[in-house]
Amino acid sequence: MSHNSKKLLYSVIGVLVVAGVVFGLYTYAGQEAFIRTTLSGLTLGSLFFLVAAGLTLIFGLMDVLNFAHGSMFMIGAYTGWQFYTNPTFIFGVLPLVLAFATTVMLIPVIKPRLVRLDLSEAWQKSLPKLAYIAALLVAVLALVKFDILGLAKTAMVAATTTSSNPLAELSPQEPLPRFLLRILLLMLSGAFVAVGLSKPGNRTEVSAPEPLKKRLILPVVLFVLTIIFTLVRESASEGVLLMNGNLRFALAIIAATLFGFLLGALIEITMIRPLYVRSFFIVLMTLGMSFVMRELVQVLWDPLAYQMVRPPLFAQPGRATTIAEWLMNGSSTISIAGVTFPTYRLFVILLGVVMFVFVTLLMNRSRLGMIIRAGVQDPQMVEALGINVKRVFTLVFALGVALASLGGIGAAPFLPVQPMMGDQYQMQGFITVVIGGMGSYVGAFVGAMILGMARAFGDYFALKLQLSPTIAEASTVIIMIIVLILRPQGLFGKKD
Amino acid sequence: MMETTDSNRNLLSVEKIDTYIGQFHILEGVSVDVAKGSITVLLGRNGAGKTTTLKTIMGLTPPRNGRVIFDGQEIQGKQAFKIANFGIGYVPENRAVFRALTVMENLKLAERKKGDLDRHADFIFELFPDLERLSKLKGNQLSGGQQQMLAVARALVPDNKLLLIDEPSEGLAPILIQQMMEAIRKLRETTTILLVEQNFIMASQLAERYVIIDDGKSVHRGLMSDLVQNQDLIHQYLGASIQAPISTSEAQ
Ligand SMILES: Nc1ncnc2c1ncn2[C@@H]1O[C@H](COP(=O)(O)OP(=O)(O)OP(=O)(O)O)[C@@H](O)[C@H]1O
Ligand SMILES: [Mg+2]
Repeated sequence: MSHNSKKLLYSVIGVLVVAGVVFGLYTYAGQEAFIRTTLSGLTLGSLFFLVAAGLTLIFGLMDVLNFAHGSMFMIGAYTGWQFYTNPTFIFGVLPLVLAFATTVMLIPVIKPRLVRLDLSEAWQKSLPKLAYIAALLVAVLALVKFDILGLAKTAMVAATTTSSNPLAELSPQEPLPRFLLRILLLMLSGAFVAVGLSKPGNRTEVSAPEPLKKRLILPVVLFVLTIIFTLVRESASEGVLLMNGNLRFALAIIAATLFGFLLGALIEITMIRPLYVRSFFIVLMTLGMSFVMRELVQVLWDPLAYQMVRPPLFAQPGRATTIAEWLMNGSSTISIAGVTFPTYRLFVILLGVVMFVFVTLLMNRSRLGMIIRAGVQDPQMVEALGINVKRVFTLVFALGVALASLGGIGAAPFLPVQPMMGDQYQMQGFITVVIGGMGSYVGAFVGAMILGMARAFGDYFALKLQLSPTIAEASTVIIMIIVLILRPQGLFGKKD
Repeated sequence: MMETTDSNRNLLSVEKIDTYIGQFHILEGVSVDVAKGSITVLLGRNGAGKTTTLKTIMGLTPPRNGRVIFDGQEIQGKQAFKIANFGIGYVPENRAVFRALTVMENLKLAERKKGDLDRHADFIFELFPDLERLSKLKGNQLSGGQQQMLAVARALVPDNKLLLIDEPSEGLAPILIQQMMEAIRKLRETTTILLVEQNFIMASQLAERYVIIDDGKSVHRGLMSDLVQNQDLIHQYLGASIQAPISTSEAQ
């Protein structure tokens, strides 16, 4: 009982403090500035949430601090921007990746045979290594003289031309025969990797396999996709560029999110999984990975800042007075209680809220959410119930990265797309997680909104009182310190 | 009573397992056989290695040497979730129910196939009527005894051939111990059970066979009916862990 009344007391105090702060700001700033700044704060808060949600879920379940999360945000922005502006690069590289993945995914098909092979211990050890070396050599051979930089630069051309014909920016892809050779070689390379990963001769891995049909589904699907995307390399880019801008933007969002998901899964399986027993190394590894990704992006697209064009729904000059009018005309601004506010930012707020609802439903209504909530407490016991916890880890990591990536493409139309764009969001994401409580997605949402507000009002006061603009950045750290003093486990964190 | 030692009748054979936790050699050649349809109990002092034996079978602390054969298959070295899916249910010590999940969610989580819970709900709630009443409460709102029941109930949701139950009576009031014993007695009609139990009265009334673990080794095994008459053995290995002396009149 006393526990409950204490909780009630804290809630009442919390509400009073929030109401007091809101009232104070409102009377001080006046209605117009208050509403405008609040909306800006919510926009920032939405982006903070998309970054922090993944951080907190990943930390809560796996105790992993992902220092590459900001880079994933940045990668999402680049992916979406590429897709929206000129997808030549994406469609040029996609078939190669699919080809490689097709044969790697043959593992469940070949593994049951390979593990039964009679191999001496020495061969069991060395065969995978030989396979990996072979895979590397073949992959290098496959990519000889592949003009990946040329492909990447296509979108830079797009950024600098102002031609009204969208197709004027397209550049041709490689001739098909040579490209097919690359595809075949990469499939061979992937097959070598699959052999290595199958641990030939390792009888402890013997287990009753699923029916062959089921095991073949994924490789066959990937193979068909490889063929399709090989054939449509050029026409797909054309098709995307000719389609309605809003639809193209929606697809860009999906592409960036999906890519984030797959990238996250890949990173977790290959680099993080082997390090769970040495969690400090994960910090170093993710930190290193963030540098690698940044450099990679700089090599491909130069250390420049790009501005992605806003999709037509948010681009027409003019101010709408109602939401219906905005949706009809695609106005770039809308009047909210007499305040003019960019419509695209409203969209970002919506994105944040929708994803919060999505995460809430996922955590409370789905089996995956149930597994995550249980796994936070005791992953071993979850495993002992017959649940593949490793796979759940992968899924959660991938999901977290997908959210960050979604944040990146969401930010791209109003933030400069550049290699460092994620750093600040990662920083704020970590502060959000500390404020909200490690592992709590509700905390991440509340914390993100508080930080967004602090940033927005900090900027407002800095401008109005002619203070240094760093006051806005400092304010979030100050809030974090206050929370840490009053409630070390964070607003929604559990003690222990 | 099962008198057979025929290895074909064993649902589970643990053969000379060595388990290390970090640098520590915890189990040194432990062997345990569990006959199909029986209850076997692991006895031994605190820290003897009973829990580690169950965890090793379950794949949570894989053995470095030795074999674990379940239902004719070698399962040592496999991942824990795969071992569970062979049909082994694990009830850990210390009531490891999921605190953030409701009673219903705790049970639902244990499903391996859709509909597992629906099929067994009647049976489970008949054994533990309290759980039905509490089904909307979270794990952290249950009393210790209720948590213990939930932990056992959770292992009954899927079709398990073998249950590994670690100290089900731990910290229970006498009346609840009685209820737990009844439940386990009913379970053995359909499943095989490997039990760890410090409460000697409970162990002796439930199990047909025993294995004594001492300092990481399996030092003695046999029929429970023989052990209750062997006061020397009881004192040598179980000593203080016996909660109430077996009266000599009962042994006679
Ligand atoms: N994580 C660990 N690290 C190091 N030693 C451990 C660990 N877990 C268990 N041990 C040691 O292994 C030995 C056996 O432990 P185990 O939990 O199996 O004993 P037990 O027979 O179940 O005891 P109890 O009756 O108290 O539950 C103990 O000496 C214990 O100290
Ligand atoms: Mg124990």
